[in-house]
Amino acid sequence: MIEREVLVRSDAGVHARPAMMFVREAMKYPCEVFLIKDNVEANGKSIMSVLGLAITSGSRLIVRARGENEESAVAKLVSLIENDFKN
Amino acid sequence: MHAKKIFIRDLRDADSKIDLQMELVAGKDGLGKEITVGDINRPGLGLAGFFDFFAYDRIQIFGLGETAFMRRLSPEQKREVFEKFFSFEVLCCVFTHNEHPDEMFVEFANRYRVPTFVTRHRTTRFISLLTHVVEEFFSPLVVMHGTLVDVFGVGVLLMGKSGVGKSETALELIERGHRLVADDMVEVRKIDESLLMGNGSEIIRHHMEIRGLGIINVRDIFGIRSIRNRKRIEMVVLLEEWAEGREYDRLGIDEKRYTILDLDVPYITVPVRPGRNIPIIIETAALNQRLKKMGVFSARELDGRIQNWMRMEGERSDD
Repeated sequence: MIEREVLVRSDAGVHARPAMMFVREAMKYPCEVFLIKDNVEANGKSIMSVLGLAITSGSRLIVRARGENEESAVAKLVSLIENDFKN
Repeated sequence: MHAKKIFIRDLRDADSKIDLQMELVAGKDGLGKEITVGDINRPGLGLAGFFDFFAYDRIQIFGLGETAFMRRLSPEQKREVFEKFFSFEVLCCVFTHNEHPDEMFVEFANRYRVPTFVTRHRTTRFISLLTHVVEEFFSPLVVMHGTLVDVFGVGVLLMGKSGVGKSETALELIERGHRLVADDMVEVRKIDESLLMGNGSEIIRHHMEIRGLGIINVRDIFGIRSIRNRKRIEMVVLLEEWAEGREYDRLGIDEKRYTILDLDVPYITVPVRPGRNIPIIIETAALNQRLKKMGVFSARELDGRIQNWMRMEGERSDD
C-alpha cells in the first residue's frame, strides 16, 4: 500500500468536473484507489463517493492505492490534484 | 472511531429524527466549540455556591429548579454567582420549559462565549432526547463502499467491486418500489452496541451515478416514495462476477456472517452474469431474511422434512 498527502489548492474545490477527472484517471489503474479526507475514506473510482467528501479548497487529502501499479497511480493522481486537475 | 469532531452547533443542526427544539439566545461566538464529553450536568449546586467537582465541560441543563432559584437571588448575589460560574470554561447551557435566561445571564454568556439555548421540552424529556442525539454523535462510525436499499423493509447493503452493477441493481429495485438510502458511500454507525444504522453523505444524498447516464437525482425522478434517509442494515449482499468453477451456495443451510464494527450481519454472495435477474434474487433474499427473523428457516425445514421422511421410510422397510 502506498499513500501520499496532498493539499487542494484549486479555488472551486473538487466539484463535479474535477471529481470526474480524478475518477477517470484512477480507473486507468488496476489497483484499488482511495481518497481520504478527515478520516473518511472514499472510493477513488466512484464519482459519487469522491463528491461525497465535499472537498473544498484548502482541504488536506490522502491519496492511497493498494495493488498492482500502486506507485504510479498515487504519483499520477497526486500530480493531478497539485496541477488543479489539468492534465 | 468517530470521523468528525463534534461542535456545539451540531446539536442545533443535528440531522436526526429527534428535534431538540433548541433556540440560541446567547453566546453565538462559542458555537464552534468542540464537545468532547457526551454527558450533562445540572448546575444547581454551583448556583448555590458549591463549585467543588463542577463538571463545567459538560452540557449544563437549567431546569425549573435552577431558574426559580436564580430568580430569588438579588442582583448582587446573582452577579457574584455568575462571575464564579462563568470563570470556569463552561461548555454550553440549555434552559428547559421554554424559560428564558434573564438579561444578566445573557450578558455573561455573550461575554464568555458560552452558547446558551432555550428549549420547549421538559427537563427529563430533553435530557433523554439529548442523550440519544449525543450518543449517535459519539457512536462508532465506518464508511462502507456499497449501496444501501430498503427492500420490503429489510435494509440490504449491496457490496462488490466497482463495475459489477451495484447502482444498476439498486436502480431496478427502486423501479420496483423499493427505497434508496445511499449509493456508493454509506456511513454506518453502531447504535447501542446492538444495531447498525446506515445513511448517505448529506451532500450527495439520493444521487446516483449510472454509467452512460451520468449523475441522476433519484428523489426527483422517482419521487418521495423511492427514498429514505436512514435504515438499519440487516443483511449484506455481495455481488460478484460469475466465475466458472467457483462453488456457490446451493442450499443456504449455513448462515454466513459479515462483520461490520464488530457486529455480525447475515451475508450472501450473489453471482452476477448477463441475463440474470439480480433484483428479483435480492427481493427474494430480503423476504427470506424476514422469514428467518420470524423463525422460519426454509432450507433447514426442508432438510428436516426430508430426514424425517427418510427415517420413516427406513422404519417401514424394517418391518
